[in-house]
Amino acid sequence: MNSRSNVVWAIVAVAFIVFLLSPIVLLVIFSFTSRTLTNFPIEALSLRWWQEMVETRQFWPSLANSLIIGTCVGVVSAMVGTLAAMGLAAMPRRRASVIMALLTLPVMLPPLVLGVALLSFYVSIDLRLGLPTVIISHVLFAQPFVILIVHARMVNFDPRVVESARDLGATPLQAFFTVTLPIIRPVVIGAALIAMALSVDDFIITFFTIGTGNTLPTLVWGMIRTGLTPAVNAIGTLILLLTIGSTVIALRLTRYRG
Amino acid sequence: MHGKSHYWLVAPSAAIFCALFIAPVAFFVVLSFWRVEYFELSTEPTLANYRDVFAGYWHVMGFTVLLATSTALLTTLLGFTFSFLARFRAGTWAQLLLFIVMITLFGGYLMKIYAWKTILGNEGVLNSALIAAGIISGPITSLLYSPQAVVVTLMHFSLPFAVLPIYASMRGIADSEVEAARDLGAGRWPILSTVIVPRCQSGIVAAFSFVFLMVAGDYVTPLLVGGKLTMIGNLIAPQFGAQFNWPLGAAMSIVMLAAAVVVIYLFRLLIALWSRQ
Repeated sequence: MNSRSNVVWAIVAVAFIVFLLSPIVLLVIFSFTSRTLTNFPIEALSLRWWQEMVETRQFWPSLANSLIIGTCVGVVSAMVGTLAAMGLAAMPRRRASVIMALLTLPVMLPPLVLGVALLSFYVSIDLRLGLPTVIISHVLFAQPFVILIVHARMVNFDPRVVESARDLGATPLQAFFTVTLPIIRPVVIGAALIAMALSVDDFIITFFTIGTGNTLPTLVWGMIRTGLTPAVNAIGTLILLLTIGSTVIALRLTRYRG
Repeated sequence: MHGKSHYWLVAPSAAIFCALFIAPVAFFVVLSFWRVEYFELSTEPTLANYRDVFAGYWHVMGFTVLLATSTALLTTLLGFTFSFLARFRAGTWAQLLLFIVMITLFGGYLMKIYAWKTILGNEGVLNSALIAAGIISGPITSLLYSPQAVVVTLMHFSLPFAVLPIYASMRGIADSEVEAARDLGAGRWPILSTVIVPRCQSGIVAAFSFVFLMVAGDYVTPLLVGGKLTMIGNLIAPQFGAQFNWPLGAAMSIVMLAAAVVVIYLFRLLIALWSRQ
């Protein structure tokens, strides 16, 4: 390739990076400014909006709810998703991909439709809305990601190491805990973190299935709807820290690249 | 392995899927044939909701399909360009590009939309920066609360979902295939059109479908950056809140999904035709 087209591609690459990242970066920057308007020029840096965030009524309960839901979703999705991924890895490839495609359907449905369908279903079977309904709803759309990530590792897994453990007298359960799990543990933890990130970030499905109470995103929604305060930038930065932070760790652990 | 025991391993996931997806969706379909009369659900099957959707809301539905189609086309094009860049042009920088896509994939849905509101507003980032730089004297008021603002915002949060499937299928193309085409005298555009696009068919269709569904069902973006702009999601959401007409909301959702299936099918045909030329 000649150097002129290289320059063009470099500009395109930079444009993409700016487009993808600048809204997120600006949000973080403006959470540390002193003024009420989120614009330039930035006069002084301050922690004023972080201060206001922690003093916001509902902030601590929302944070607690987000963390409780995120942790439960991470743990439950990692458990059922890892089991499913192991089962799928042992199946004929065609059948495994059909089952995987089915389990991924909830991700394809627009979150609004999934949210209102779950809401009307829960109400019709007299299930009380609350944190448990949010958790099971999140597991539904988080488990396909866990299955995909763990399955990608399981297909490269040498089954002979488990077979030799079994030949030496280990029960299937012992073989799992002493051989399989230690090998795939980083991937499972990574997948759990991705599930947690998806859960903490979710707004629409949470909004329809929580009944009363808030998580961080639904709190932000309420604040945006009732008037702009840069404290939203601080909470937003916190959400990004939780979701992007756990994603970065997860990507390191899983080495998963799509 | 040991007999059929591995099928049991999928059972918990399958149970969650059946109880929380198959059952609710089936109930949702049934619900769309019911009716709300005097704030009571009447379970007498009727097509009245569908009649209402087609009679009263066809223009919102049409606008949503139009906006979703154009957004999905643009985003798929951008996703293809990005993937092409990462796969064939970026060299060692590809890792960084993909890393950025992955971290923007899982986080910040609501915050991204909100960020665009602060960027595009009259006293927002873009206008204030342009004024400070002396490029304009007064704010450009048409940035926010416009269809363009909605499309840009939707493209921003759906782009990572378009990049991943396309890049995944591009990774399957060997350098030798592209070199062989070049050695046989193919120029840049023919290589792109007759080698790369056909090999990425499934990725391109997956990207388009993903983005289309996400956009067609979105109601937060029009609310925050769209001003008076109404998409079908903005009519569906209140049916499950203040309006309290679940059957109508269900019928609207199902008509929207049916429209999505048709558009995605047509797009698939188009890409298949292109690849067969």
